[in-house]
Amino acid sequence: MSKISAMLDVGKRSMSNSQTALQTVSHNIANKSTEGYSRQRVDIVTSPPIGVGNIRIGMGARAGSVSRTNNPWLEKQIQKEGQNMGYMDSRADSLARVEQIYNEQMNKGLNHYVTDFFNSFRELSNNPESLTSRSLVRESATALAQDFKRVNDQLKGVQDDLDRQIETSVEELNQTSKELAQLNEKIQLVEVQGATANDERDRRDLLIKKMGEKIDITWAEGKDGMVSVTAGNTAILVSGSSYNELKASRTDNRDRVEIFYRPSENGSLFQMTEQFKGGKIGGALEIRDQLIEEHLNTIDNLAYMVAKNVNEVHIEGYDRYGRKGVLFFEMPKETKSAAEGLKMNETVALDVGRIAAAARPDSPGDNTIANMLSTLQFRKVMDNGGSTFDDFYNSQVGQIGTIAERALKSQESQKNILSQLVNIRESVSGVSLDEEATKMIEMQKAYDASARLIRTADEMFDTILNLKRM
Amino acid sequence: MRIADKMQFNQVNKNISKNRSDMSELQNQAATQKKVNKPSDDPLGAARVLSVRTEERGNSQFIKNINSAKSFLEFSDQSLGELSEILIRAKELAIGQSSDAGANSESRRATAEEVAQMFQQSVNIGNRKLGERYIFGGFKTQTMPFDREGEYFGDDGDMQIQTHKDSFVAMNIPGSKVFNGIGLNEDGVARPGVLDPRTVDELQDVRRKEQEARELQNQKDLNSIETRGPASAFNPSKMGSADPVTKERGVNIFQTLKGLEISLKSNDKVGVQNTLDFLDQAISQVVMARAEVGSRIMSVNNVTDTLQKAIVDNKIAASQLEDSDVFQLVSEINKADSALKATLDTSGKMIQPSLLDFLK
Repeated sequence: MSKISAMLDVGKRSMSNSQTALQTVSHNIANKSTEGYSRQRVDIVTSPPIGVGNIRIGMGARAGSVSRTNNPWLEKQIQKEGQNMGYMDSRADSLARVEQIYNEQMNKGLNHYVTDFFNSFRELSNNPESLTSRSLVRESATALAQDFKRVNDQLKGVQDDLDRQIETSVEELNQTSKELAQLNEKIQLVEVQGATANDERDRRDLLIKKMGEKIDITWAEGKDGMVSVTAGNTAILVSGSSYNELKASRTDNRDRVEIFYRPSENGSLFQMTEQFKGGKIGGALEIRDQLIEEHLNTIDNLAYMVAKNVNEVHIEGYDRYGRKGVLFFEMPKETKSAAEGLKMNETVALDVGRIAAAARPDSPGDNTIANMLSTLQFRKVMDNGGSTFDDFYNSQVGQIGTIAERALKSQESQKNILSQLVNIRESVSGVSLDEEATKMIEMQKAYDASARLIRTADEMFDTILNLKRM
Repeated sequence: MRIADKMQFNQVNKNISKNRSDMSELQNQAATQKKVNKPSDDPLGAARVLSVRTEERGNSQFIKNINSAKSFLEFSDQSLGELSEILIRAKELAIGQSSDAGANSESRRATAEEVAQMFQQSVNIGNRKLGERYIFGGFKTQTMPFDREGEYFGDDGDMQIQTHKDSFVAMNIPGSKVFNGIGLNEDGVARPGVLDPRTVDELQDVRRKEQEARELQNQKDLNSIETRGPASAFNPSKMGSADPVTKERGVNIFQTLKGLEISLKSNDKVGVQNTLDFLDQAISQVVMARAEVGSRIMSVNNVTDTLQKAIVDNKIAASQLEDSDVFQLVSEINKADSALKATLDTSGKMIQPSLLDFLK
């Protein structure tokens, strides 16, 4: 048999359901712009009915749970593409900087100074007696050496900058690991009681994405609802509620930041720089340790070969005073850091008369050596006789241009892929104000109706209570 | 498809930033008038531009080289012209004094004075300077090439000037060749030495050959008999005919003039007649040297034309590679501009309303 009190009860519960739903609507609206937020819904289920004889009377509804609308596979995909994005971003950014070092469209660069250098010998051969043309040789040689140093310094500058980026990223990564471990613990605490920790899970998904943008990670969720995150192949960053830190610091071997992993609190550090190939850090490491190192080598090689070839010829000649030629450049001991240390021989730099233009002693008009030096520009001395200085350098410029172009293009297309995925995610999990407004109206109406119901029940009570008086 | 609010914002953001970056790229191209502003804009083009520029600057330098060589050559040409006039005058005088008809010891003595003057004029020509450099001293441009007796203090150096990537032109004729007749080719032309080293190996080779030549010369000098007195100034046996070993053929202009002077002074009719042959040879030696100089001037003039054309070609090539096509650029800017405006317009409309605006 139905009871008025049951009606009151259903009405009360229904009001409270509407209120819960409205509160969730307000939660959604408030988090409309929160990064990583998934819209939430109250799952309203019917209360168990009461059976009286052969009728079962519905007992209204109750709020089952609050769940988030979320596609975990999509999140995983976004995480993966985000990792690629981080890698490509850091590559494209640093390549753009490396490329500027070789950019001679606006500024003068090595190509210009090499040409100047050899042209100054042509000028010298026009007039080997003149001190002016000799000074010109000195000026152009100094400018050439300076520009070699500039390229070297700027390349190393990009490396330094990447070092700092790596340090900051590792620092942020450690912070994230810490927060992730705490979230793991919280989620487990909440979920052990049967509820789902929606907001914490959203936050955790976001943190994992952020970690992936920085470094290549693999992760999995255990049965207990906790995720474990591994960076590279073996560096376990988060496992359950505990986390391990990475450490970025310089070593004695090389003046570059390396990444270390400490597997336990008091354990020893392991160097794992080579393991990291993804995310911002992976991209930065690749540019720093491969591309820039290669470029430093080629620049060193060029500087060394210029010095070697010029010296070989110059030493055969005779200077303005009829003395035997000396070294023109101070000969670098080895190819390594030749560009950095390239400079004119002090003797020649202090007295341009010591520039040897002549092949015979006491022949002020003899320009044979100057001619030999200027023709070096067109001799194939680089790459084992395969290319000239100019070819060698220009092909470097072409190469860095190609790599930078490709990096930019793949960054562009990766951006599109990622934004496409993020769009799909928003389509699934994002908050729509229209929807929320509709929901709000719907729930408000339900709230109104439930209140009306209670009033009706109240009136019904009144009716019953007034029976006696009649 | 379910459209969430954030999607719209993302899309609007993405589109506007895309349009803006397109616009800024185009604006940059318009401002610099270049379509290649960094190597990645066109890697092959950027590398090509570099080598074109190197070439252009090399070519400009070659033109400078040529101009300096040309003034040297033209001055040599003028000087040799004067020298040949002197020799022709000497020959006229010699012919006049070679027979007893209309000439006697008096007139010969008077002519000898004039020939002595000519001798000094020739020495002066040999000591001509362009700027601070003696033009007939070979490499020894700072030493006076001839003393008053016509003795040579220069060397046989040819100052090679680069006129093109692989070609050189000698800008001087050493006095030893044109005045002393030493080191001429078989046909008597004062050509620059074929030994023109470009590498260290070649240089060493040249030095070895020069050493051999010096030894040979020393031997020749040892074998020839030194004559003393006035006769040593004029030694026909050492002149005129081709050297059997080196195949050299040349006359010493100063010795010839000196010989003429001595013959005239000593009223030696036969001696004067003998000199005529040498004077002929001397004239042809100078004329041929002049022709050589002339041909070099002509060749550098030709190269200048080629170079100037090449510089224009280089400029065109670089421009085609890196300069933006202004008409196309402007039309692209207009396109990008209207796209940006359309995006902004529609974005404004899209972001504004939601259901909430209509719930009153």
